[in-house]
Amino acid sequence: MSTALILGAVLAVVCVVLVALPFLREPDPLSDELDALTPERRRRLALSEERDRALAALKELEADHRAGRVNDEDYRISIGPLRREAAEALRALDGDARGKGEQAGRRDGGD
Amino acid sequence: MAELGRAALVVTLGLCLYAVVAGSYAAARRRRRLAGSARNALIAAFGSTLVAAGVLAAGFLRSDFSLTYVANHSNRTLGGVYKLSAFWGGQEGSLLLWLLILTGYAALAVWVNRNRARDLVVWVTPVLAGIAVCFSFLLVVVASPFAVQAAPLDGAGLNPSLQNPYMMAHPPFLYLGYVGLAVPFAFAMGALLSGRTDERWIVATRRWTLIAWTALGIGQLLGAHWAYVEVGWGGYYAWDPVENAALMPFLAATAFLHSVMIQEKRGMLKVWNVVLVALAFCLSIFGTFLTRSGVVNSIHSFSESDIGPWFLALIVIAVVFSTTLIIWRLPLLRSTTRLESLVSREAVFLYNNLLLVALCLTILWGVAWPILSEAVRGTSVVVGRPYYDFFLRIFGLPLLLLMGIGPLIAWRRASLRGLGRTFTGPAIVAVVTGIVLLLLGAGSSIPGLIAYTFSAFVLAAIALEFVRGTRARRALSSESWPGAFFSLIGRNRRRYGGYVVHVAIVLLAIGIAGSNSYDSVVEGKLAVGQSLALSGYRVTYQGLTERDTPHAAEVRAHLLVSRNGKSLGTMEAGKNSYKIAGPDPQVSSEVGIRTNYLTGEDLFVIPEQINDDGSVYFRIFVKPLVNLIWLAGIVFLLGSVIALWPDAREQRRLAVRYDEAGSPVRGR
Amino acid sequence: MARKRSPARLVIALSIAAVLAVFLLYTSIAGGGTPSLRPSQLAGRTGTVSLVGRVVGKPTGDSHAGGLRFRLRDVKDPGGKTVPVVYTGDVPDLFATGRDIVIDGKLQRGTFVAAPGSMVTKCPSKYSATKPAAQ
Repeated sequence: MSTALILGAVLAVVCVVLVALPFLREPDPLSDELDALTPERRRRLALSEERDRALAALKELEADHRAGRVNDEDYRISIGPLRREAAEALRALDGDARGKGEQAGRRDGGD
Repeated sequence: MAELGRAALVVTLGLCLYAVVAGSYAAARRRRRLAGSARNALIAAFGSTLVAAGVLAAGFLRSDFSLTYVANHSNRTLGGVYKLSAFWGGQEGSLLLWLLILTGYAALAVWVNRNRARDLVVWVTPVLAGIAVCFSFLLVVVASPFAVQAAPLDGAGLNPSLQNPYMMAHPPFLYLGYVGLAVPFAFAMGALLSGRTDERWIVATRRWTLIAWTALGIGQLLGAHWAYVEVGWGGYYAWDPVENAALMPFLAATAFLHSVMIQEKRGMLKVWNVVLVALAFCLSIFGTFLTRSGVVNSIHSFSESDIGPWFLALIVIAVVFSTTLIIWRLPLLRSTTRLESLVSREAVFLYNNLLLVALCLTILWGVAWPILSEAVRGTSVVVGRPYYDFFLRIFGLPLLLLMGIGPLIAWRRASLRGLGRTFTGPAIVAVVTGIVLLLLGAGSSIPGLIAYTFSAFVLAAIALEFVRGTRARRALSSESWPGAFFSLIGRNRRRYGGYVVHVAIVLLAIGIAGSNSYDSVVEGKLAVGQSLALSGYRVTYQGLTERDTPHAAEVRAHLLVSRNGKSLGTMEAGKNSYKIAGPDPQVSSEVGIRTNYLTGEDLFVIPEQINDDGSVYFRIFVKPLVNLIWLAGIVFLLGSVIALWPDAREQRRLAVRYDEAGSPVRGR
Repeated sequence: MARKRSPARLVIALSIAAVLAVFLLYTSIAGGGTPSLRPSQLAGRTGTVSLVGRVVGKPTGDSHAGGLRFRLRDVKDPGGKTVPVVYTGDVPDLFATGRDIVIDGKLQRGTFVAAPGSMVTKCPSKYSATKPAAQ
């Protein structure tokens, strides 16, 4: 079946090209190194998640209180610690950024 | 053309092998271009699998019987649509569908994430490719769909009971589910391999998991509906091993969907989540193994084939691989947060998880017991329906109740007093419902009554949630009631979508309770003019008619139906004798179903035996509320779509979080 | 920290214990299941078993009137011993000579008396579903 043969050959060629494409596009790059997550960035990520969690918990408590899921007394008991946690998380994140010295620049294609 | 198909599969195998080897090397040594090349290989593998699938599909559409597989599953008179669905009607074709969906999902997953979390995604490629290697190996070496033969004049045809729209859609949906679980699995393994202990892998796969889980659920409902209307024994689920094969990963995935929320809110249960996703994936492979290997007695296993041992090997590899990774990274996964209170939403989610996993494992035990008992004691012992029904009730009923408790409890810590007040409303509704039902006679089944009462509680709790949320929203933004309602859902898609899914589960529970615990049955031989009575219905047999079509000789019994004296019209039930080559004519019963759309009740007539003298032996069921099960499917889909709907605000928040962590420096 | 160990671990441990307890209780009360046997393994067995075999010879009788009578042999043993079976209840559509079936019942005086409606046919080949009798 010559159609089958031709199609098969086309398929093989396309696949080889696709696989080789990154090397064909950049035969001589400045750096072939793949991004890695350094310990500082890991720490920063953990802190960001902490902050997001603390802020979300605050928001949830407010929403729960407004909707009546949490009564006034429970609200009063819980809001203090949550606010402290959120403040701590924000402080830790700020401290980390300042303590770094270098600017972790905003890049496209984030993390 | 068969050579093209076979060659395409070999190409897929080669590409996937390359993707595994090159991808792992690139990930370990952080080679950017090689990682890109491995990713392209995986994407190209989808392309070549598509070519192979196209060749097979063309073979079916052209009735090319030189392909053994086509000849075995199709014939010239098969309707066009079913010619296509015959593609997945047998071992080799369904494996090809698996591979097609797997490479499709894999290509999409690595392409969409090509610029995100590169240190994590670089490991996802080899893991997904590894799974694809196993399946493409099977297709190339063990079970090729492209075996050729001297073309016979006509093919064997597709089993007539499979020529049904529900049976057509059932395997693709199931596979979209089973295979879909591979993506969160690969990301979890990628996270472990790259040493990332944060939530990135969960955030990346949240929608994938939800889509796969939804597809798995819908697939099972389609299968159940087919069993109900086509196989027609009066039921929809028989606890057959292949049915359980889909239920087990579904339960594990349900547990996973809930426990990731705990990790998201509190940073806890990191190990549990990884274990769960690995369990869900391994169970989905196990499910495929069960359906194909003939290792357990099942009404719908493929014939005993030699493919069993290969799948067993794949399961062992998957289990060993994931276990090793998890144990290796255990120190990294320890969380610092603790469960603060046993009365909190986290705790309720934990209980939900424990019940779901317990149910899943007891089903697994029941399925595996025949194999284990044979190995240990020499005789194979099978467990029956009572085993499964018992554990479904013991674990399922508390689960039902938890669906109502969860939404009413706050995160972190809820006070018992506050809870008492919140629960009062739904509890009253439940108790009143229970009493009313008891008075109406529902006491004939205690589990059924409990199921109904719990369902009332859950529905009331969810309604309360919607009302309270809408009211709070109105207070905040002074919108109208409908406006506040929709913006409430719009701003909390996952939560309220989840509530809608819970409503679907409740409908399912009510439908199952009604049709299982409160159904009634009567049987007997009827001559023309005689009738059977059941639950207020009277069914009178009026006579037989015969119809001859090109496919079959159809015999139908005509029945007059009345309820409480009022005539409801006529219905038919009978048997088809299919004109298929072979020693015995293939016969199927066509049951008669009369649905009362107001009450959801079905009158189900099975013509068990048509005698030569014109009399017919009938078995008639009345199945209350059974149609709620199918309605539940629609509500389930609606809830999932709401939960899946992209939320721009959340995307922005996540982008900020991951961007802030500092974008990795990219080689220029 | 107020608590030294998270209650989560305790809850999980207790739940596992509870599940195992329930499980053991159930299996000890309700029994561990039905043995699944081939016709060649049936001799001398009392008690309810699940019989897996292939239908040989021509079935006679009426399952709704007096009982359907046929013989079963081991699926993998063409020349083996056959066992006479009498069955009442619904007969699945795919039931025929040469088909594999699963049937529950008891051996009584040399004949396997089946539990009514317990017959399930296995499909002869490929992926096709069969009709189980009413459960």
